[in-house]
Amino acid sequence: MTDIMIIFRREFKAYFYSPIAYVFGVIFILLNAGIYMFHFFFYGNASMREFFSILPITLALIFIPAISMRLWSEEKKLGTIELLFTLPMKSADIVLGKFLASLVFYLIALAGTLVIPIMLFFFGSPDIGPIIGGYFGAILLGAFFLAIGIFISGFFNDQIVSLIITSLSCGVLALVGWQYVPMVIDGWINGLGDFLYNYIGVTRHFNDIERGVIDLRSIVYFLSFTVLFLILNIKHLDGRKY
Amino acid sequence: MIELRNVTKTFGLTTALKDVSFEIEKGEIIGFVGPNGAGKSTAMKIITTYTAPTSGTAIIGGFDVLENPYEVRKIIGYLPETVPLYYDMLVYDYLEFMGQARHLNGNLQSRMNWVIEACHLDVVLHRPIGELSKGFKQRVCLAQALIHDPEVLILDEPTSGLDPLQIVGIRNLIKSLAHEKTIMVSTHILQEVSSIADRILVINNGQIIADGKFEALRARIKTDNVFYMDVAVGKETVLAGLKAIDGIEKLDFLPGTNDSRTQVNIHYQGEELPRQLDQEIKKQNWPLNEFRLETLSLEDTFIQLTSPGKTAEEVAKEGGEA
Repeated sequence: MTDIMIIFRREFKAYFYSPIAYVFGVIFILLNAGIYMFHFFFYGNASMREFFSILPITLALIFIPAISMRLWSEEKKLGTIELLFTLPMKSADIVLGKFLASLVFYLIALAGTLVIPIMLFFFGSPDIGPIIGGYFGAILLGAFFLAIGIFISGFFNDQIVSLIITSLSCGVLALVGWQYVPMVIDGWINGLGDFLYNYIGVTRHFNDIERGVIDLRSIVYFLSFTVLFLILNIKHLDGRKY
Repeated sequence: MIELRNVTKTFGLTTALKDVSFEIEKGEIIGFVGPNGAGKSTAMKIITTYTAPTSGTAIIGGFDVLENPYEVRKIIGYLPETVPLYYDMLVYDYLEFMGQARHLNGNLQSRMNWVIEACHLDVVLHRPIGELSKGFKQRVCLAQALIHDPEVLILDEPTSGLDPLQIVGIRNLIKSLAHEKTIMVSTHILQEVSSIADRILVINNGQIIADGKFEALRARIKTDNVFYMDVAVGKETVLAGLKAIDGIEKLDFLPGTNDSRTQVNIHYQGEELPRQLDQEIKKQNWPLNEFRLETLSLEDTFIQLTSPGKTAEEVAKEGGEA
């Protein structure tokens, strides 16, 4: 077994040692599907437009921070980080193992929402392109937010602090590109909302992919920032001086 | 096997280690002694490559901690002071994980069986670590340090918080590993050091202040000779009787002293006193309860090494004020 795999297995199992994983799974599916079902019954459209419209916000504010907060904060609080970094393993392998464990856990929760498209195919004939695009985008977006989350988790001993800072960071990234928010910001300071939307907001890239426009630039955007934050996490941990 | 070369470690403005150098031979058991905050844990963290020294370096088994940390980590088993464990994991799962992380493959099961038996963990194997008593947690963490049969063992206060029976158990385990492994044990329990260590390193304020066998360290300390006397006569009578004897520097009357009984520590110089004192007691016909030469206790030795010229009470008082 490779070092990445050894860390991955422990970290992934760790999500299920406590009831948090199950609570998380249930709330994730209920909330996302619940918000969507409201629109579904209201408009009666066989599309997942509304689902993917709200997803970046719920992911950024609650779900991703809840998955990523424990990755380093727990190790620091328990002191287990001291044994982890005296094992004959490379920091990069440990970070990757942890990141992949959180990503797979997220993907399982996301897979739980597949009941929605299955239901849609029962009742109507939805356009499959945006649904596939939407899920593809949700995977990339989740990976990006998780990379931010694991990086932030490396700074704090307290999981709650990690959760709040990650929630704020991802929340800002998601909100500045979300629906009417850029226009509102433009109303305060002319041009700022537009600037944030184009250069900082992640929702624009997510919407591109979700619309079925698989733009290479958007994919590169998500992947490169995911890799960047993982590298920052490795560098930060290697430079520790406590 | 373990060599520190001019290691200095600073945290912001505080200096944890000041130009520390020492060498430990293969197969030695070293007692690493010092008050809290002296730099014991910092030195151990540098040896185990968890922290990098600010300047200087350490060579473990021929590998430099700065250049070859992964090679160093392979040969070291480490029990940190804080006994860090994943509280949600079962003991068995945890040991399996640490064994895999140490790259044990074919011999994983046999090594696990060995540490489970050596650390007496068989009764708690399938319980979550968080539910275990302090003693068991300590032993699980020790098992983790031993699982890959390391050449070097770094144990940071392995017996703190254990009951006397458990302490004896861990001490015996450490003794049984002696001479095949190089072991460094930090502690502030001195009985422990004198019972298991071949050699003692005393550290204080980030500097090594003594290095050698326990008896050699004790002989190094210059103190007054002290005689303890317990007689069934009043304090005034004793004072009057002792006036005749030369060489007495100080009399410390102990709390047990009253009108009909005197317990006193007699500090003196020279060789003559015991004989003179004996004659005086016989001459005065004092009923004698006890009469003995005080040897420096382990605690006194420690205090004399770390704060020369002070008594335990003075050190305790300073500690309380600080």
